[in-house]
Amino acid sequence: MRFRATVENVDTFAKIVQSVEKLQKRCTIKFAEHEMRIICTGDVNEGGIQVWSQIKVSSLFTDYRIQSNSNNEITISMSSEALLAALRSAAASSTAQNSSTSFTTDTQVTMKLAKKGDKSVLSLEITGLTPMARAMTVVQHIVIDVVKHADVERLKEPMCPEPDVHILLPALAKLRTVVERLRPLANDGVIFRANHNGELQLAVTTDNARVEVGWSGLTNPTMAKDPSSQNTNTDDSDAKDPAEMHGVLVSHKCLLKFLNSHVVSTTTIACICENHCVILYVYIGNVADAGGVITYYIPAKFDDGI
Amino acid sequence: MVERILIGHSTATAFVFSHVFDEFVYNPDAARPSQPSQLSQNDEDDELTATAFEIPLNALMDCLNIFGTAGLASGASQKKKKAQDDGEDSDGGRARGVRSNGKGKGRADADDAGGNARLDQWFAPGKGTGMRMSYAGPGHPLTLLVAEESGGPTATCEITTWDPEPRLELAFDSDAAVLKIILKSSWLRDALSEIDPSTEKLTIIGNPPPPPGRAARSSAPPCFRLRAVGQFGSTEMDYPNDREVLETCECAHSVSFTYRFSHVARALRALQSSLKTSLRIDDEGLLSLQFMMPAPRRPGRRSEAFIEFWCLPLEND
Repeated sequence: MRFRATVENVDTFAKIVQSVEKLQKRCTIKFAEHEMRIICTGDVNEGGIQVWSQIKVSSLFTDYRIQSNSNNEITISMSSEALLAALRSAAASSTAQNSSTSFTTDTQVTMKLAKKGDKSVLSLEITGLTPMARAMTVVQHIVIDVVKHADVERLKEPMCPEPDVHILLPALAKLRTVVERLRPLANDGVIFRANHNGELQLAVTTDNARVEVGWSGLTNPTMAKDPSSQNTNTDDSDAKDPAEMHGVLVSHKCLLKFLNSHVVSTTTIACICENHCVILYVYIGNVADAGGVITYYIPAKFDDGI
Repeated sequence: MVERILIGHSTATAFVFSHVFDEFVYNPDAARPSQPSQLSQNDEDDELTATAFEIPLNALMDCLNIFGTAGLASGASQKKKKAQDDGEDSDGGRARGVRSNGKGKGRADADDAGGNARLDQWFAPGKGTGMRMSYAGPGHPLTLLVAEESGGPTATCEITTWDPEPRLELAFDSDAAVLKIILKSSWLRDALSEIDPSTEKLTIIGNPPPPPGRAARSSAPPCFRLRAVGQFGSTEMDYPNDREVLETCECAHSVSFTYRFSHVARALRALQSSLKTSLRIDDEGLLSLQFMMPAPRRPGRRSEAFIEFWCLPLEND
């Protein structure tokens, strides 16, 4: 089992990890020949939010070499906090070098699997030059567990019905402000609903107040290649009333956790499966040439606990 | 529009005049209940001039600040607010049901006094957070439409209203006032914020100003004195009878009343954003603090708002 790669885009990698770090203590990363998947399954975290991200190797790494007995795939799990700390340290040194001096191409970050004593580690080797032009290397070791083949088989994306509506979300940073403000008014969760007319609504209800925040003029993209849709015929959306709202009640905490991805997001598409779940595709970089997508699944919350 | 808050032995009332709003429509007949009022004939006159309901104040604050641009922390500890909307100016007289509109309150003068800083967060120029508030009458929620910018998101808030509970009737008899002082709010604010929060009692002492025409002697008792007694000692603060400090000071004979400091301290937030303060005490010791609030200036109209606090004295002086 061998893995070694140069991290070309440390900052983006750090931001992706930052987006999922708040979800749960440990995350799973699956390295394959052409893509890297960061997975947080909802077993332990509150509210059942899950993340399945898919990032093209070429958008983060160069000199990517992987070899293993299971189809050249390696699945490891580690503390997301430790991974973020290591990446931040690497990102800081690469940007500091860029800004302070003329050494722009000096910092190199290499990631590899290694053994340290009897423990497997993912090590991040940061090589650069000090302002005095001396070579300097910092190595960060993150203790990992290699996930057994049988357990990898058990990792399955949640099954979802055909979404009722797809909608392009407004800027996540703005959405996040509103969702944060809704916190004291949202003890039962937030109703997340949208229609085929480009309208999105967030609604909360308590004994004291009913609040509904609405956006309009958003885009309803056609998602012909949506992997979760079995039925590729998009004409059936014409049969529905475009003004009809499709909603799902989700936990306020989960919504906020998803909105942590505002640091990396450019385009976000929400797919609502009425009274079932909401799926959020956060695109990294341009949609047309996406370097990757982080997929969040937020299950519906039911008023009377199941 | 009047907002009233009950806090123990003190009440607070905010008077917001209709011309603070860009539009203010008050439709007294719209929500007149079909069944006859259960109030006695005597009360009816008073009742007809006002529409009153209670709402949770923190919910209103949360709604106003939904886009995070109103910028006022919702630190209100009071659970309920009593709002009484009575017909202002031409609307006076027969009134039931209120409809008030405030749209695009974004016209505060940029060069307003520093004391306006807090209100500027609500009425800041350029930010354009607008609000439209309406109330259809008893049994209906207080509806707020809040928008940050044109084309941006809009929030529709319906705040549950309750029938007003009988309120503590404190009537300040201005004929019986034994002490009347008007001063710049900052003078009072600085004094009150000096006082240690653990202080239990605050005594307000007033003495008649020395007869005019003679230079104030240093031995003369101060016109206005604040004495705070707490766990860690006592503090006394005197205000000289100087026009620079006390704009007016009317006091017939020496008075001294003691109040619970925690009650008076509730007025600090209003005091901080106000321009001028009128402090009055009647012969029974009822303290009335009126704060003149800054408001967006409109050409040709006065649009100050007032907040009034009433506080009962402690019995064993």
